[in-house]
Amino acid sequence: MRKYLTVFAIDWQNQFIYRLNFVLWRFRNILRVLMTYFLWSTIFSVQTSVFGYTREQIMAYLLLVIFLYGFVGSSPSNDNIGGEVSSGALNNFLTKPIGYLRYWFTRDLSSKLLNVIFAVGEIFLLWLIFRPPLVFSSQPAVILIGILMLVSAVIIFYLLGKLALASVFWAPENTWGFMFVVLVLMEMLTGLIFPLDILPRSAFTALQFTPFPYLLYFPLAAFIGRLSPLEAVRLLFQSLVWLGILFYLVKRVWSAGYKVYSASGG
Amino acid sequence: MPVIEVKNLKKYYRVHQKEPGLAGSIKSLFHRKYYDAKAVDGVSFSIDEGELIGFIGPNGAGKTTTLKVLSGLLYPTSGHVSVLGYIPWDRKPAFQKQFSLVMGQKNQLWWDLPAMESFILNKEIYEVPQAQYNKTLDELVDLLEVKDYLKVQVRKLSLGQRMKMELIAALIHSPKILFLDEPTIGLDVVMQKKMRDFIKEYNRRFNSTIILTSHYMDDVKELCERVIIIDKGKLLFDGALSEIIKKFANHKLLTVVFSEPVDEKKLADIGVVKKFDYPQCVISVRRNATSLAAAELLQHFPVADLNIEEPQIEDIIREVFTGKDLA
Ligand SMILES: Nc1ncnc2c1ncn2[C@@H]1O[C@H](COP(=O)(O)OP(=O)(O)OP(=O)(O)O)[C@@H](O)[C@H]1O
Ligand SMILES: [Mg+2]
Repeated sequence: MRKYLTVFAIDWQNQFIYRLNFVLWRFRNILRVLMTYFLWSTIFSVQTSVFGYTREQIMAYLLLVIFLYGFVGSSPSNDNIGGEVSSGALNNFLTKPIGYLRYWFTRDLSSKLLNVIFAVGEIFLLWLIFRPPLVFSSQPAVILIGILMLVSAVIIFYLLGKLALASVFWAPENTWGFMFVVLVLMEMLTGLIFPLDILPRSAFTALQFTPFPYLLYFPLAAFIGRLSPLEAVRLLFQSLVWLGILFYLVKRVWSAGYKVYSASGG
Repeated sequence: MPVIEVKNLKKYYRVHQKEPGLAGSIKSLFHRKYYDAKAVDGVSFSIDEGELIGFIGPNGAGKTTTLKVLSGLLYPTSGHVSVLGYIPWDRKPAFQKQFSLVMGQKNQLWWDLPAMESFILNKEIYEVPQAQYNKTLDELVDLLEVKDYLKVQVRKLSLGQRMKMELIAALIHSPKILFLDEPTIGLDVVMQKKMRDFIKEYNRRFNSTIILTSHYMDDVKELCERVIIIDKGKLLFDGALSEIIKKFANHKLLTVVFSEPVDEKKLADIGVVKKFDYPQCVISVRRNATSLAAAELLQHFPVADLNIEEPQIEDIIREVFTGKDLA
């Protein structure tokens, strides 16, 4: 355990070396909120309510979803693991008593912490400008379940990325693996751009059989009071089922990957 | 009781063969052809505790591949390997805490932070007790003379300074076994010498077992009593350095100093003229024909001085590598 705390501490230091990168990354996040907001504004210029959401409700949703996205979606492991496997830098880890995927998960957490700290500031600023009415669930139990769903979401996103990147073991030329598929789906199907419940009922139900809505939409729905306690428990359970399935798949695929790994370099 | 045992080790890489050009690329999308690159092809040896082995061979011989199998990075195609009683590719933490692999061109240090931070991280990864860590670090920093650079960002160090830091990071858990893959590559002669002295001292002080690969014969000559030579994945020689001469040198060198100019063409009857720089001449002759050649020389040429020598170890190894017969 202590070794991972040290990884966290050292990564935290390392992040400050790349201040500029970080600031630009946050800037991109703000732009994303604004762009989505203006997109919605044009829709609201012709009607006052869309799919049961008012302009203010949508703004509140977008602000919160961007906050959660900073937490769930910031994952430097996704940008680095492919290159490390392909170049043979993974060798440095495979000879040491440390788990490679745990090591990167720890570094992701360090990045998430920094992102969340900044996201709080940004959201406060945006809130001051737009003043959307932020409504939260009045039931502490649902909020608590929402937090658990969020933890599960962080792990699910991590595992999805690692599953996509495992392909690099077999095709080292393609260091990005299937990562872009995950990221595109992340944009479309998680609730990042619009609340998923504006989709037709059947599409919305079908989505529940994929891991994507559990990444952002359902935890957020719990926080803003759109889930009953019973629904929240069911969705948390389904989220955990996905976590279990992905955990198993990643374990299997990576151990097969290590077997074909050609340890390039030297 | 050997600490490293390798029996009939084979490692074939599956290589995907691509025909050149765009058409080849498209074709290979649908129909992939593979062939086996036999990097290591039936190698056996065993190594005892405290030995310092020189593991040599020409480029592509299979040295690095062998070291990667011994460190558990690669699964062998077949064969039996045991290191400290463990199967390396099981990658058991108890095994990993007892060895280290250092590759000349790889780095494990955090590029943007002082090397000290990487040492601390390794201390935690290997679960080294604080007191032992302090002691080892002091010793290593002292031996390698890097006290002044501990707090400098790694990216600002010179290659030599960085290599020393890499070594410290690799040794902070006091490994019993050390795999050094070309540790002196790219270093100037002074640094090479220092690195050699360090390796020798480390082996002596801690009785650690070391396998060293290098293309610099000086490294091997100075450090290793025993050498293992491989080429094209096959073992060519395993034994004392001095034995190489007996086994492979089928010739000796006659160094002659003439008192008068001679006809160089006539010397060719005696043996292969390696160097002719009047008045001195070096002739390579078959080992079993040495005395005959010497007698011929003395009889038919104006000889002022004659010396019979064993060939240089470098020359023999070059000969072994290239498969050429120099006599
Ligand atoms: N990842 C890989 N995939 C396919 N073939 C490989 C791979 N790594 C090495 N080889 C091949 O295996 C053979 C042995 O390579 P290896 O790196 O073990 O040689 P080496 O003895 O360390 O050489 P050098 O002195 O140049 O470092 C070479 O022919 C090389 O082309
Ligand atoms: Mg090599």
